[in-house]
Amino acid sequence: MAILEEPIRGVPLVKNFIGGEWVESKGELVDVVNPAKYETIARVPISTREEIDAAVEVAKEAFSDWRRTTPLARVRCLFRLKELLEEHFEELSRIQTQEHGKTIDESRGETRRGIEQVEVATGIPSLMMGYNLEDIATGIDEYLIRQPVGVFGIIPAFNFPFMIPLWFAPYAMATGNCVVIKPSPEVPLSQMRLAELVDEAGFPPGVWNVVNGGGTVGSAMLEHPGIKGIAFVGSTPIARDVIYKKCGETGKRVIAQAGAKNFLVIMPDCNVGGTIPALMTSFFGNTGQRCLSGANLVIVGGDKFYNEFLDAVVDTASRIRVGYGFDESIQIGPVRDKGKKERILGYIESGIKEGAKLRLDGRKANIIGDYPDACFLNPTIFENVSPDMKIGSEEIFGPVMSVMRAKDLDEAIEMANSSNFGNGHAIFTASGKNAREFQYRIQSGNVGINIGIVAPMAFFPFSGMKDSFFGILHAQGQEAIRFFTESKVVIQRWF
Amino acid sequence: MGLNTASEVISFAKKLEEENAKLYEDLAQRYMKGREILLSFAKENRKNIVQIERTYYEVITDAIEGCFAFNLNPDEYTFGTELTEKASYSDALCKAIGMEEKIVKFYSDAAEQSKSLMADVPRAFTIIAKKRGERKSKLEELLRKESQM
Repeated sequence: MAILEEPIRGVPLVKNFIGGEWVESKGELVDVVNPAKYETIARVPISTREEIDAAVEVAKEAFSDWRRTTPLARVRCLFRLKELLEEHFEELSRIQTQEHGKTIDESRGETRRGIEQVEVATGIPSLMMGYNLEDIATGIDEYLIRQPVGVFGIIPAFNFPFMIPLWFAPYAMATGNCVVIKPSPEVPLSQMRLAELVDEAGFPPGVWNVVNGGGTVGSAMLEHPGIKGIAFVGSTPIARDVIYKKCGETGKRVIAQAGAKNFLVIMPDCNVGGTIPALMTSFFGNTGQRCLSGANLVIVGGDKFYNEFLDAVVDTASRIRVGYGFDESIQIGPVRDKGKKERILGYIESGIKEGAKLRLDGRKANIIGDYPDACFLNPTIFENVSPDMKIGSEEIFGPVMSVMRAKDLDEAIEMANSSNFGNGHAIFTASGKNAREFQYRIQSGNVGINIGIVAPMAFFPFSGMKDSFFGILHAQGQEAIRFFTESKVVIQRWF
Repeated sequence: MGLNTASEVISFAKKLEEENAKLYEDLAQRYMKGREILLSFAKENRKNIVQIERTYYEVITDAIEGCFAFNLNPDEYTFGTELTEKASYSDALCKAIGMEEKIVKFYSDAAEQSKSLMADVPRAFTIIAKKRGERKSKLEELLRKESQM
C-alpha cells in the first residue's frame, strides 16, 4: 500500500509570529521529534518573557482597530482563510501526521474539524447579535450588545496540534478580539503553517500571534495583565491547579478543558457488528490520546454475552495494524513520545500488580514497516478491572482498554458516575429506554448513544463536567462567542 | 492484505477508476464504432474520482472512525486490462462487462461495510455502484446488438 510523502524536509527553525512578522526567538531551542521515525524534524524555541510581552503589546495595539472593523470585514478574513485551508488541506494533514504520529485518516479528520470551526465563526454577523425590548417602561427601551474583550491567550494540548487552537481563535477574532497562541512545543509545526495561511488571508498584523514555548511561557501568559482570558486544553492537574486557579487570582476569564476517564457501557441488546469497530476507534484511535477516548468498557449481561462480546473485541484489537501514519493501511500510530510510552507502560504494570487479567498485551509493539521501537505500542486489554484500581480510575492517555462487568444498567451508570471525570461517557444499546435513562442520569458533559467518540460539532459546545472541565462557558459555537464577548446592557430614554 | 482504512479504500477506488478509464480510452482508439460511448465512460470515471474525493474530504468528520471502517479484499475487485491483438469488439465488450461487475461489487461492498460508521461516504459509493450497474447494462446491450450483426 502507498506510503505518502512527508511535507517537512530538513530541520526548520520554528519562529514566533508577532505583529505579522516572523521573529526568531532568543530563547533556548528544543527538538521537535517525529515519534514514528524518532528523528528530529524541527527546532522550536522556548520563548522569553520579553517575547510574550511583545506579542501581547502588539495584540493590544491591534485590538483598538480590529474591534472597530465591521463584523463583515472581519469574517471576510475568515472566508479567505477557509479557502486557503481547503487549498492546503492535504499538506496540513500530512504535517500533523509527521509531527504527531497519528494516521493520515485521523489527520484529515482533524483538519476537517478545524476548518469547520472557521466556517461556523464566519456566521458572526448573525451569531454575535444581541437582543432588545422596547418599552420596558414608558418611552424606555433596553437592549443587550456584545462587545469584544481584548487579548486572549490560547494554550492547546499536544494531541490535536492543528484543530484545538481553532476551537477558540476563529470565534475570538471574529468577535473582534486578538489572540496569542502558544502551541505545544512537541507539535508546533501545524500552528506555524496555519499562521502563514492566516498571514496570507490578510488579517491585520497583531490580530493573530504565535509565541512558542512550554510551561514557562504558559505561566507568563497567565500572569500577564494584558491578557484578558485564557483558553486551555490539557491535563486535569494543570487545568485545575494551575490554569483555573491562576485565572481566578488574576481575574481572567477561563475555559479549561481537561482530562477524562470515559466509560463505554455495552448493553446485551447492542448491535455487535456496528459496535465493535466504533470501540476500536474510541479506545485505540489516535493511539488513545484523546480526552474523548474510551477508557473503561463496562459490559452488562450474562456470561455468554460477556464472553462472546469480549472475545470479538480482543480478536479485532489483536489484528490492528500499528505503524507510521503515512502508510495508508495503518490503523494506529505511535504515542507522541518516549516519556508518554513509559507512562503508559507504568499503568500496564500497575494493572498487572493490582490483579487485573491481561487479555491482550500490547507492550511489545508489532510494528508494520522498518521503524524504531521508540514510541509504538499495540492495543492492550485488561479484564476484571474495578473502578477503584489505578487503571480503572486514572487517565492513561494511551491504547489501553479496561474491561469491567455490571449486572445491569443501574450498576453501570453508578460505576461511571463514581469517576471524578465527566467528559464523554457512552452507551451502546438498541433500547430507547436504556438510552434515555443513560442520557438522563449519566454525569458527563458529552454523552454518546451508539457513538464511541462523542466529539461535538463546531456549532455545539465541547462540553465537559466534574474534573474534565473548569470554567463556565465551553469551547466552540455560541458558548465560545459568549466567552469572547462582554454582554453590555443599555437602558435608554430620550427626553 | 485487506483494505481497512478509509484512506486505503479511497486510494483503491481512485486506482480502479483510473485503470478502467485508461482501458476505455484504449478501446475507443481500437474500435471506432464504440468510440463515443467508450470515451464517455472514461470521462465519467474521472467525474467519479472527483465525487469520491470530494465526499471523503468534505465529510471526513465522519472518518474519525475511518481507520476501522472496512475489511475488503482487493483481490476480489482487481482485473486485467490487457486484450490480445486479435480481440474483436465483442471480446472487448465482454471484458468491459466483467470489469464493471467487479467494480459494482467493490462499491456495493464498500458501501455496505461503511454504512454503520459513516454517512455520506457509503451514499457516494452506492450512487457510483448504481451508475456502474447502468453502464454494465449499456455494455450488455451493445454486446447483444453486436452479436446480432
